[in-house]
Amino acid sequence: MSTPPLGRRGFLQGALGIGALAATGSLAACAPGGTATQPSKLAAPSASTSAAKGEITIWNRSGDLFKVFDAAIAKFRAAYPNVKVNHQAVDIDAKLANTLISGTDVPDGSFWDDAKIGGQAEHLFDLTDLIAPYKDQTSPYKLSVNTVDGKIYGVPWDLDPGLLWYREDILDSAGVDPASLATYDDLITAARTVKEKDPETRPIHLEKTPFLSQLWLEMLAGQQGTSLTDAQGKLRLDSEEYRRIFTWIQTAVKDDLVTHAPYLEPADVKSLDDGRQVFVPWAIWWSFAPQQLLKATKGKWRAAPLPAWTPGGARSGAMGGSSFVIPAKAKNPELAWLLYEFLCFKEPGYTAVYGPNDVYPGGLSTSIPSYIPAADPAKPLFQPIEALGGQDLWKVAVEAGATIPAATPIPWWWAQSVDYLGNNMQRLMEGKMSPDQVISESAEKIQRNLIDRS
Amino acid sequence: MRSTRLSPYLFIAPFFVVFAAFGIYPLIYALQLSFMRWRGAGAARWVGVDNYLYLLTSPDFWASLGNSAVMWVLIVPLQVVAGLGGAVLLANARLRLRGFFRVAFIAPFVTPLVAMAQVWIVVFDQDYGLINYLLNLAGLPDVAWLTSTTWSKPTLALLFLWKTTGFAIIILLAGLQAVPGGVYEAAALDGASRARQFWSITVPLVRRSMAFLVVIQTLAVFQMFAEPYVVTQGGPYGSTTTAGLYLYNHITASDLGTGAANSFLLVLLVFGLSLVSVRLLRPKDEVS
Amino acid sequence: MNNTRPGLAQYAVLALLAIVFLYPIWWALSSSFKPAAEIITSPLSIGELTLGNYRAMFADVPIGTGFANTALVLLVKGAMTMFFAPLAGYAFAKYDFPFKNLLFGTVLLTLMLPTLVLIIPLLLEMSALGWVNTYQALILPGSIDAFSIFWMRQTIAAIPNELIDAGRVDGAGEFGIFAKVVLPVIRPGLAALAVLTTMNVYNDFVWPVVAVNDTSHQTLQVVLSTLAQNVTGNRIGADFATVWGELLAAGSIAMLPLLVIFVLLQRHFINGILAGSVKG
Repeated sequence: MSTPPLGRRGFLQGALGIGALAATGSLAACAPGGTATQPSKLAAPSASTSAAKGEITIWNRSGDLFKVFDAAIAKFRAAYPNVKVNHQAVDIDAKLANTLISGTDVPDGSFWDDAKIGGQAEHLFDLTDLIAPYKDQTSPYKLSVNTVDGKIYGVPWDLDPGLLWYREDILDSAGVDPASLATYDDLITAARTVKEKDPETRPIHLEKTPFLSQLWLEMLAGQQGTSLTDAQGKLRLDSEEYRRIFTWIQTAVKDDLVTHAPYLEPADVKSLDDGRQVFVPWAIWWSFAPQQLLKATKGKWRAAPLPAWTPGGARSGAMGGSSFVIPAKAKNPELAWLLYEFLCFKEPGYTAVYGPNDVYPGGLSTSIPSYIPAADPAKPLFQPIEALGGQDLWKVAVEAGATIPAATPIPWWWAQSVDYLGNNMQRLMEGKMSPDQVISESAEKIQRNLIDRS
Repeated sequence: MRSTRLSPYLFIAPFFVVFAAFGIYPLIYALQLSFMRWRGAGAARWVGVDNYLYLLTSPDFWASLGNSAVMWVLIVPLQVVAGLGGAVLLANARLRLRGFFRVAFIAPFVTPLVAMAQVWIVVFDQDYGLINYLLNLAGLPDVAWLTSTTWSKPTLALLFLWKTTGFAIIILLAGLQAVPGGVYEAAALDGASRARQFWSITVPLVRRSMAFLVVIQTLAVFQMFAEPYVVTQGGPYGSTTTAGLYLYNHITASDLGTGAANSFLLVLLVFGLSLVSVRLLRPKDEVS
Repeated sequence: MNNTRPGLAQYAVLALLAIVFLYPIWWALSSSFKPAAEIITSPLSIGELTLGNYRAMFADVPIGTGFANTALVLLVKGAMTMFFAPLAGYAFAKYDFPFKNLLFGTVLLTLMLPTLVLIIPLLLEMSALGWVNTYQALILPGSIDAFSIFWMRQTIAAIPNELIDAGRVDGAGEFGIFAKVVLPVIRPGLAALAVLTTMNVYNDFVWPVVAVNDTSHQTLQVVLSTLAQNVTGNRIGADFATVWGELLAAGSIAMLPLLVIFVLLQRHFINGILAGSVKG
């Protein structure tokens, strides 16, 4: 930790010496950042299961997921009766980074977006040794986004594989076999066929929110084994893989094959429901739409693996995802690890979250576990989904998820880069920029405003 | 004016005690940060005026100031006029349903912004929002309220106006109370028209409150970040990335040095603007 | 005051404006009773009504505790502001003393500095004091805020000096003049200050969100922000529609007390603001 070396006395000098002299005198005392220290490494708890004892504070987001975790934590308590868990719903995005910097009253563990973890590794426990036994059994993608300089900082939680959501009835009547959609070129061809049959359709969904469109881009890039930066943080936007994606988008737009709408906002929902959209290449969490938002087309959607960019290429990429972190200043890090080990790697733990529960009677079907033994196609945790015509989404998702290639940690400035890359993607989708312009403009600005200022 | 030795210091002491305890340390700390590169983790590096230079040469920084300046033009003059009109009307004892109108105009001020910003997203939705529905009824075409760079600023300005005009009315009502009724009666006897009365009596007398309002709302407009953050995330194409949101983005990215430098540049700017508006609106007979 | 009878046209304009001003509040209140998914899919129509959002919200977040904490903070912070801000405003408006401009400039500086940049240093300070998760951390920083002093200085500057000198001739002490002469005269400004302070404290969320972690110290706005993050954040994942419902339910409940108080007391607020007149 590198909070300023500010003791109570130093503070009093700084605050109560109102005169300029006194203030100058205390400047040295409250300089931000000291010398960088080695991150702390968390070792395996020495105590045996039954002896684990103490209290931990765990942060989660509010909402339904909170209730699901609450129930899962109850299962943990049954296994570790002497560990008291103080489970809190907080505004993690607004609080966690600040709390880590200040180092006071930090939780013993927290849920966090994978995109945030790499930038704050210094404030987190190095969990490499603890995760070692499970490493070979964990999605390589999830491991890679949680690994900075060879050390693992997050307990990999959900995997969010991209899938191709499609209207089964429309493909059927247009004579398109979903199994034939092996590449993105096949998808364009199918979209043309659908449109010839019904000129009203704009079959392919393109995302209008800059943030989500960039997240979607990373799914398509991740599918090809690349991402915005390499492991050393060097930008690799100017590449064949990204150019391939942008050119594909340009083709789809030119042929008028796209519905450009913001994710599940009213305009999007309406055009999904009135049959204009036929293909939605999106993460598994889109399953929420047919289950809760769509009315007219509920039951008509199905999921397939994404097409591949090159014949035989990976059939999925990850879009979003979270992990669990243990702050370096946690009071009971060992106990927090026991909880996360239970949730992520032990059957009663992950079953309690993904399996049928009070909040989701059919199970939680908006992501899948990243722990491979938990993601067994033959042993579904969540049930076939009626809103998808009874399709076994589990099988489709875990098989697609297993093909997701490893990536690199997500740079700390990822969300900021949306102002450049995400916006330029929107220009591409509106036909105002060419693929080469998107690449050169975005790369130049990201380099100057973000990477060079790291 | 009278100078008395100790009393004024005693009277202002409580503020400065609180300021000394909770203001000076953060202030000095932030000032130092503005000369450093520090992302909340690792060692901070002294970079001199680099953060300031970066901002002053960054098109994004100037664009954010430009966006705020446009918002200022859309908001402040209109709010002063509307606030004054509202205050005069609501103070009028012969207005029927006065209680109802008072509640209507001041109520938005009591609502929580995060919830009400959602309303804006829905009501101004291009395809399914209420506003375009009404426009269509009147035979007018759809407007891309939140998704075009032309309309995004006016739409956000409306949210700000809606939310804070109640505040302006309260400030100006308090200013109006200083206008004695007798002055109007005398003016009416002199045969001055109502418009004349308004311009020659009301406006000069509430000048002080107007100056105050302009300064406070200038600060608020240049520091505004929650409205664009919730409604447009600064888009489309950065058209609603206000000075406050641009600053906020540095801080959420834990780019604390740049964020601090940005803050101090904003302070300078806002201070200059406040001086100008105070001077322009100063009552003619006043010196201090 | 200028009490001419408003014409029909003025009523028409006022009525239209009143609808514009009230509609968003009506939308938030009515939508909070709709099934969560319908808030997105059919935002403008009202069909089935349900208490589901409220039930979910009460189960999800400690809104009762939020109310209690907000009330406590409001009471203490409000009392401090209502006493110390006029006092300082009086000194700045009616006295000449060395360093006055420098000191008033400092007050203004704190007003002009964006709060955002001070959050982390202030949090570090609270850590050093061991005050994270305490009421003093919620209350004390900014407890006598620059805005109120500035506002009171403006208000008090309008009082004729003769009035104050008359008090002095009567033999009142300096504080006596403030209490017996200044305060009664600025009652309207104080009424406005009370309204503004209430709103500011009630709706403040930037600092409270980072200053307290545990449930028992959360204010109402912290509770709201916990709900809002799922909507305003990246909206990745499943439950953003249900959280939208909960947010509107919490938002409606949060604004209700102030709305009710305001409706019941508006006459007194406004008359308080309009009360008395300083003949100048």
